[in-house]
Amino acid sequence: MINESKRKTWAHPWSYREGTIITATILVLGFIIQAAGNGVILRFAGFPWNLLAGFLFVALLIIAFVLWQKHPVVKGLGGVKVALPAILGFTLLVLLMGFVKQDVEPQSTIARLFGLAHLVHTWPFILINVYLLVLLGIVTLKRFTPFNLKNAGFFLNHFGLFLVLFSTALGSSDMQRLSMNCYEKQTESRGIDASGKMVEVPFTIELIKFNIDEFRPKVTVIDNQSGQIIEEKGKSPLEMLDRNAFDLINYHIEVEQFLETSVKAGDGYVATNEPGSATSAKVKVTDTKSKSEVTGWICSGSFALQPEQLKLSGHYSLVMLPAEPRKFSSELNIRAKGGKSTTTTIEVNRPFKTDGWTIYQLGYDKVMGRWSKLSVLELVRDPWLPVVYFGIFLMMGGAAFLFITGKPKNGGSEHVA
Amino acid sequence: MEDLNMWLEFPVFASIAIACWLAASGLFFTSGKKLMNDLAAALSLAGILVLLIFVVNLWMHIHRPPMRTLGETRLWYAIFLSGIGLVSYLRWKYKWLVSYSLGLAILFLIINLQHPETYDKTLMPALQSPWFIPHVIVYIFAYAMLGASSVVALRNLFFVPTEKTVKGPIQMADNLVYIGFSFLTFGLLFGALWAKEAWGHYWTWDPKETWAFITWMFYLIYIHYRYRHPMEHKKAMGVLAIAFLVLLICWFGVNYLPSAQNSVHVYSE
Repeated sequence: MINESKRKTWAHPWSYREGTIITATILVLGFIIQAAGNGVILRFAGFPWNLLAGFLFVALLIIAFVLWQKHPVVKGLGGVKVALPAILGFTLLVLLMGFVKQDVEPQSTIARLFGLAHLVHTWPFILINVYLLVLLGIVTLKRFTPFNLKNAGFFLNHFGLFLVLFSTALGSSDMQRLSMNCYEKQTESRGIDASGKMVEVPFTIELIKFNIDEFRPKVTVIDNQSGQIIEEKGKSPLEMLDRNAFDLINYHIEVEQFLETSVKAGDGYVATNEPGSATSAKVKVTDTKSKSEVTGWICSGSFALQPEQLKLSGHYSLVMLPAEPRKFSSELNIRAKGGKSTTTTIEVNRPFKTDGWTIYQLGYDKVMGRWSKLSVLELVRDPWLPVVYFGIFLMMGGAAFLFITGKPKNGGSEHVA
Repeated sequence: MEDLNMWLEFPVFASIAIACWLAASGLFFTSGKKLMNDLAAALSLAGILVLLIFVVNLWMHIHRPPMRTLGETRLWYAIFLSGIGLVSYLRWKYKWLVSYSLGLAILFLIINLQHPETYDKTLMPALQSPWFIPHVIVYIFAYAMLGASSVVALRNLFFVPTEKTVKGPIQMADNLVYIGFSFLTFGLLFGALWAKEAWGHYWTWDPKETWAFITWMFYLIYIHYRYRHPMEHKKAMGVLAIAFLVLLICWFGVNYLPSAQNSVHVYSE
């Protein structure tokens, strides 16, 4: 054992001291460059520059490793004592993201200058990422040569993480995310990107029909004065109208009539399916304390219909809340530039892939609710995705190894450089 | 049955489970006889089964997986913790660990008794995915494993005076962390694959994602530290205790952080 405190800094083999100095330098330097650039948010160059940079990085890493793998610096960079401060440094940066709200306008000059509200796009984040990639690259190459099946778990974990970090960083600039507004019976081939720019896609989409399927609405009790939902034990009591009778706080509620879609007619409601119709119910409410009874209609309302509440007493009223969507979907006809046309239905969690693009169901006109003629789609093109997924699957393999084999016996003494 | 709110039945199930576990812990502590230990193990199992029956009933009753609210995740946590305690007892015969785990599980049940959940059957469309159940189950299992490991850590930090006697228990902590960490990794990656299907991107640095990643990094630090310094037991246990603190922030604390407003991951109350 070398006496750690007597060893001079930068004398080999490197330890925590050197690892910490490198990591701290990278972070401080990163923030200085960020501030010197007046807090400008960084974007990577897109294809082909990112691909070129990636190739160059990997090539340089391999060449450096082949030439100097016995050099103490390379050995040091491949060791746990340099890796740990790097992991910690990266963790600190992510911790900062955990406390400062991201992707918003920075609140203070300091936050703006150092890019604290967009940390992913700042110099310190990118530099520490590159540094981690160097360390992961070296350690992967070190374990890979000579090849030994015993190192499979190690390889999967480290190379998998390398691939995921590498491809997400480089691929971010090639990823396109567009939001597209489709109206029923109309065709559209342009979407809007995050910066508000209109982008043409290589196919046209016709929205044949937008469908929405809702949960039964919930009822609750509000205070007549404030209009707020009353609270009981710090929570808002809600009950779904999917049964004929139920209890809510000290009220027993019996549903005498339930109309999924209806319009107001005189004192009550009648079933109809015309646009703007809303859910209504005739209920009998018994106050279990005073035994008094009230009967009347409640209605959740829509863009065309006033909501209706039922007065229970001078203080409280029963209200029906707008129904929450269970499922919404869009029936689409997609026509490629070549003339090939496909009809498909997409919904949340069920996107459709075509021409390198994936089409997601994003939203609809919330004011119109179930009568929305608008379907908002998200179109995503992410050419680096296969590499990211390959990395993810390697990491899953690595995780399986950790589960099966557990901690290496004798600590790491066999492998440590 | 149709009009019955399952949570109204919860105090009955929870009381039976708590009674079983208290009796089991008592037996584990007071008796050295094999018969008594077997009885204690059987009681632990009985408590777990009672809770499982409740969860299965709840699941069928609300027509969606009961994994959405904090109260529901606490139920699973109680089941997994007690299960891990029992399995580790059967495997390694650590009586104190099973008692600690049962104690923690009881604590989670008591929290649920104190804060009964409102009755909510709705599940937003984004959560209606085949990924939902594996993502949450894997995560909660990981949390339970890592929770058990931190129990080992705290015991080693405060009740084991010398570096020598800590050797056996620390292997236990390592086993739990390796299993917990592999599940944590799976949970994280399942989440990424699901997010791609549901939202179009695998990683958006949503506050919950950020904190899940920080948690993952802290356990990564523990694993690397243990690997490099197999003999520094106390320091390693300190790292493990901090990692669990981060995990708790990720699980409960994120809901209260200013950075987390409008996160899709915030549990409904």
